[in-house]
Amino acid sequence: MNEKLYAAVEKGKELVSSGIFEFAEIRLSSGSGTSISLSGENTDAVTSADSVAGSVRVLKNGSWGFATFNDLSSVEKFFRSAVNSATIVAPGIKSGIAAGKALTAKFTTKMSRDFNSVSIDEKFELLNGYNKILRNAEHIQTTRAVYRDGHSDYVYLNSEGSHLEYDRSYCGISLASVAKKGAIVQPYSESVSGYGGFEITENRDVLAEKVVKTACDMLDAETVEGGRYRVILDPKLSGVFIHEAFGHLSEADFVCENPSMREVMVLGRQFGPPELNVIDDGSIEHIAGYIPFDDEGILPSKTSLIRDGMLSGRLHSRETADKMNEETTGNGRAIGVMKQPIVRMTNTYIENGPHSRDEIFAAMDDGLYAASYIGGQTNLEMFTFTAAYGYRVKNGKPGKMFRDIILSGNVFTTLKNISMIGNDREMFGGLGGCGKGGQGPLPVTLGGPHIMVNDVLIGGEK
Amino acid sequence: MINRVTKTIPAGTKWFDMVHVSGRSTPVKFRNNRLHSLTENENSGTGVRLNIEGRTGFSSTNDDSNIERIAKTAASLARFGDIENFTLPSDTVSLFDPYDPEIETFDLQKEIIACESAIDELTRRFPGINIDMGITSSTGSIHLANSSGVDISYRDSYYSASISATLVLSDGARIETWEGESHTRPEPFSAMTAGIAEKIEQAMTVRKIESGMYPVLLPPQAFGRLLGLVISGFSAVPVWKGISPMAGKQGQSLFSEKLTVKDNPLIKGSPYSIPFDAEGVNVKEKFLIKNGVVDTFIADLKYAERLGIAPTGNAARGYASLPGPAFTGIEVNPGSEPHETMLSSIKRGIVPHQFIGLGQSNTITGDFAAAMDLAYLVEDGRITGRVKDCMISGNIIKLLAGEIELSSDRERRGSSMLPWVLLPQVNITA
Repeated sequence: MNEKLYAAVEKGKELVSSGIFEFAEIRLSSGSGTSISLSGENTDAVTSADSVAGSVRVLKNGSWGFATFNDLSSVEKFFRSAVNSATIVAPGIKSGIAAGKALTAKFTTKMSRDFNSVSIDEKFELLNGYNKILRNAEHIQTTRAVYRDGHSDYVYLNSEGSHLEYDRSYCGISLASVAKKGAIVQPYSESVSGYGGFEITENRDVLAEKVVKTACDMLDAETVEGGRYRVILDPKLSGVFIHEAFGHLSEADFVCENPSMREVMVLGRQFGPPELNVIDDGSIEHIAGYIPFDDEGILPSKTSLIRDGMLSGRLHSRETADKMNEETTGNGRAIGVMKQPIVRMTNTYIENGPHSRDEIFAAMDDGLYAASYIGGQTNLEMFTFTAAYGYRVKNGKPGKMFRDIILSGNVFTTLKNISMIGNDREMFGGLGGCGKGGQGPLPVTLGGPHIMVNDVLIGGEK
Repeated sequence: MINRVTKTIPAGTKWFDMVHVSGRSTPVKFRNNRLHSLTENENSGTGVRLNIEGRTGFSSTNDDSNIERIAKTAASLARFGDIENFTLPSDTVSLFDPYDPEIETFDLQKEIIACESAIDELTRRFPGINIDMGITSSTGSIHLANSSGVDISYRDSYYSASISATLVLSDGARIETWEGESHTRPEPFSAMTAGIAEKIEQAMTVRKIESGMYPVLLPPQAFGRLLGLVISGFSAVPVWKGISPMAGKQGQSLFSEKLTVKDNPLIKGSPYSIPFDAEGVNVKEKFLIKNGVVDTFIADLKYAERLGIAPTGNAARGYASLPGPAFTGIEVNPGSEPHETMLSSIKRGIVPHQFIGLGQSNTITGDFAAAMDLAYLVEDGRITGRVKDCMISGNIIKLLAGEIELSSDRERRGSSMLPWVLLPQVNITA
């Protein structure tokens, strides 16, 4: 921790203990990072940045004041500003906050190879090697290979006496090939990231080879005819499915002050088949959605969202936990120090079911196998997600390849259409992430096993 | 701040430029029909780009104590860059002042009362509705300097208001819609409230449709989303990389002759208008599509050099990033009839306002498919209810090459000035 940050922390400890409010917290960070981006035979950018950030959040008389700044020596000035903002207006309906324990702890990212001790030349050459693989096929028009690392000293202080520090190191790569044949242009990408060192990005030649091969294979794939299909989702896509089709719905800020939604989201409601279990767990170390503590000073927990097909829990910030008189879950997250924490997922997944992958395929007479993902979105009633590619399945055998399979469904009915759940769960995170409330991309991990879903609407021409 | 960096530029630097950005904003947030938080934000930072032996390096910081180090860091990274031989501008002219002194009249108490009034109106009309609102007033400054002698700055002002409304009906159906506007100074936002109310009212009845081809009337915001898939191909980056469907098509008629699209950095009243670009290149209005013909690709200095064209004044950057080509303001020329007349001409069609998942697929060649988040059925020239659980798909380049109609009325949505657009036959999967 540098001197300026240390001085701000010492001043911050005084300020949050001054006791003229219901609750106060200060978040401070100081960090630096490197980014390398290659495209085709060119270097798009090799950049370095350092940054400092601070914020103060104060709850006084049921009203929130928030202040952000990048001059850490001014923490006292902005603390007063946040207190002032909280007192300007007396709200008719007051905000509250669930109490937390006073925690004092220091967390450090475990690294096999500290990327701060790796030369920029080695980082560049590693990425350049992947980029050469991404280019190594006849129809590759261009590529995009990105390496990114970042380290920060993050400090959380609050008026309950918590003093948490996190020596956070995040690192990852994103690899994309764009194949072209005639008028068809077909990109494909993969990304890996996590909390750790340079080792996360090493030995990824196989991933780069998969990217270039898939992009080229997709050139000959057709778009799928629109309609309703029985679909097998691969583990990556089943993770996106549960993130979009249910995960956001489990975020309590969509529910806590909406009487209609509270009726809809009553615990015990049947959401899926009895084999369906869905978990959010921010305590799984190293992967993208890991947090040692959330941005409200709450430790992460393994939260069961669906147990045996029934709604069993939801994700909370301190404010939503207070509103709903439920336990905090450690899901108050902000994309950076300068943003207010809101309810967010961490590592969200479908738990393993009873079936092998082969059993699931054997059960499909006619349908689609959808794999990998490009993106997804929900409005908490309907959702879409896009498989990068897939195959027609007849009598259990994958056949003709399709590209860009855009699936859509209803959050209250599609989960019930899950007919088989596999036993081969995998977890996926990358340099991208989840967006909500103007905060994105927030690192999250998603995952699941192969699953079969009946009656999924797929967009496209007849 | 800039002077402190200038003193640290290493010997042997062929050229350099630097940008210092600072801003202050005061967002007000209403959540779930009530005032939630007041915020004060301040941030500033500096970025330096420099070229040594033809190669470019970049570094940035928002930590004042590191200012003297960033030029040295940028120099250490330059050897990895590509050869860039463009020349930085020396004749930058600031075309206007994007700062409106009226921004200082921002009255927090008045804004809060206006928000509470809007929430009262909507909650009275739609019991059970949840309203989120956001009001932001901000001011900032941008200072650009380079080794060609440019040392220029401007202040800007920004005001925005947004409403998001969610109504969950007794059958679990959810109506969620939003409106937003932005200006260089505080403006009344009562029209947004009326727009929200109208969209909800029309969505209370749900109508079933069958899969098929329908006429689709796109409101300005929805048209802007789809047009964005096309316009992205007019950036010099995908053109140079050979993945834009527009590459090599300049002068060709790819669209309806009724379609004229401009990149206009000077749209009046828009807080996104700029007096010069982020590299100090002078800005001007230019045609992207002129009467259906592919016209100009937008470029910064780097990609202008690569494509062998003149820079178009479209460089954008924050302090923490290298410049890159970006559109300033998209302006689509209007048609001849008001959108109400176009609506009344539809026997049976769709008016989609909001999509889910649009752009989250391979849209490089114009293909798209998205769920319709908020869309209406038109029967005999009038909206008769909402359509749900269906998807819209097609190729937007081909659709805009067809028999389209554009409305005479336009709306500014963010940085764009857009009409309503009628597409005669679009695939809907229900």
